[in-house]
Amino acid sequence: MIQGIDYAAVAPVLLVAVAAVLVLMLDAFGTPRAVLGWVSSGALALGLASVIALASGDRRATFCLPSGLRGSGPPSCSYVADHFTLLFQGLVLAAAVVVVLLSVGEITRSALPAGEYHFLLLSATAGAITLVAARDLITLVVALETLSLPVFALVALRRYDGVASEASLKLFLVSVISTAVMLFGISLVYGATGAMHLDRIALAHVPAGLQPVASVGVVLVIAGFAFKVAVVPFHFWAPDVYQGSPLPVAAFLSVISKAAGFAGLAITLALGFPAYGHVWGPLVGVLAALTMTLGNLVALRQRHPVRLLAWSSVAQSGYMLAPLAVGSHHLPQAVAATVAYVALYAVMNLGAFAVVTAFGRRLRRGTASYPSLDELADYRGLARRSPLMAAALAFFLICLAGLPPGIMGLFAKIVVFRAAIGGGVTWLAVVMALNTVIGLYYYLAWAVRLFAAPEAEPYDLRTGPAVGLAIGVAAAGAVVLSVAPQIVLQTVSIVT
Amino acid sequence: MNTYFHDYLVVFVLVLLGAGIVAGGLGGNRLLRPHRPTREKLTTYECGVDPVGEGWAQSYVRYYVFAYLYVVFAVDAVFLFPWATVFALKGYGPTTLGEMFVFLGFLAAGLAYAAKKKVLSWV
Repeated sequence: MIQGIDYAAVAPVLLVAVAAVLVLMLDAFGTPRAVLGWVSSGALALGLASVIALASGDRRATFCLPSGLRGSGPPSCSYVADHFTLLFQGLVLAAAVVVVLLSVGEITRSALPAGEYHFLLLSATAGAITLVAARDLITLVVALETLSLPVFALVALRRYDGVASEASLKLFLVSVISTAVMLFGISLVYGATGAMHLDRIALAHVPAGLQPVASVGVVLVIAGFAFKVAVVPFHFWAPDVYQGSPLPVAAFLSVISKAAGFAGLAITLALGFPAYGHVWGPLVGVLAALTMTLGNLVALRQRHPVRLLAWSSVAQSGYMLAPLAVGSHHLPQAVAATVAYVALYAVMNLGAFAVVTAFGRRLRRGTASYPSLDELADYRGLARRSPLMAAALAFFLICLAGLPPGIMGLFAKIVVFRAAIGGGVTWLAVVMALNTVIGLYYYLAWAVRLFAAPEAEPYDLRTGPAVGLAIGVAAAGAVVLSVAPQIVLQTVSIVT
Repeated sequence: MNTYFHDYLVVFVLVLLGAGIVAGGLGGNRLLRPHRPTREKLTTYECGVDPVGEGWAQSYVRYYVFAYLYVVFAVDAVFLFPWATVFALKGYGPTTLGEMFVFLGFLAAGLAYAAKKKVLSWV
């Protein structure tokens, strides 16, 4: 029996996946590096255009159960392109374009193999945009693996660097364990409910004797996702991996990987497991509180910008997780709050990574040598050397802290607060408020350094047009969303 | 639930019995046999030939690449067999035929990449 495929619905994924193979082939047959960068970013932009075109249409679903097998149950489609999916696909693709822009200089500087780099980046992106559209557990796991596997290789592409190999191995082991845990959870859920499609799991009647089994399954699935999005106590890989990988890859991990992971978690909890809200609600609440507290406290003591961003991104995971602590009570609003926070966080964090990448490429005055590992102290006086870059970084940091004039960060926090209080988890809102205050310190301390008197030896900041464009795009996004945060807050819709 | 774990008790007892037989056989042998070691008796047995070198040996990483390529073809075949049994049946047809060639195209791309990177040439 042949199933019809709605090619329009899967167009973004298809475009990116075909481009990935195309880039690999072009590189093998000797196409110059610059062309590969253009093909790669062009394919992502084309995917973004198809997402925008789809957004004006209705909800599309494909890979559904054929009517002969469906019985009296729901349609059970594996791939759904609704507004939730399209928002995340647009976010991931736009972020991927910025990552490609950041990568152009990095590939030359770190002597990375260009074709393989773009191939792996596009493959991982294809996994991410499949993940946010997946509506059954098998598609979710396969998409999550398509997202994870290329990233191990991307992290390790600096083959001469021991730190990179260590980071890659760490990420690989953590990821494999989390996949195993998650698969075990899925097998328990399948055993108890007899369904793989999320809409069928939600409707399944589970006998009382199997309720504990299903609950354990749900908890294990959450634990699997928690590894991927670096939630305490499964966070320990993040700082080392961010530090060991090329900076654009770290940006990819902290923005695209994380956004897709949270989308997957939200899809699973909201569509598949609403009946177990009493089980996962409190668990997610405790994880969120631990994550934001530990992340912020450790971030206070960091001296390297990348490690600071890593710990801050762990802390931010806590904020993103917080609304889901409501359990099945007011769940749609909670999911909307998480989605809004993830979307706004992606813009500001990507911007911060872009500036850190650009700053890492400065040259010592009169030489052609790059400085060794940056410390936060090196950022002193950046405002005198490059006022634009310092202003951009300061703005991103203020957004991450959630202070005016970084209205987008402020609104993101307010949305999360409102969802937590509306869902009756006031204690978590209190923990979050305390954490926001802790976060202020390290974000602002870094921002203040930018405007202090310079003391280090002089250097040349020649970032190149690509990185400049990346910073410009992120800064423009942050400014637009600060002036009009309703752009994101109103488009955020319920997952179906 | 109780009978469920009861079944495992039988397995456990069986494992204990098996371990007991092996340990008893080897232990009894040890107690009964004479024990007069010589230098020749203690060397590693290699089909009557004197062992050369150490236990640690290097093998070419190249074999690993070939093992990988074998996996590509094995996966290929695993999907081809079930496809071959149905694609001529009623209800399938040119679409099914085309879909398999899309899949083969992806594998061929991987092979072409490997060939271009000189993985396939034996040096």
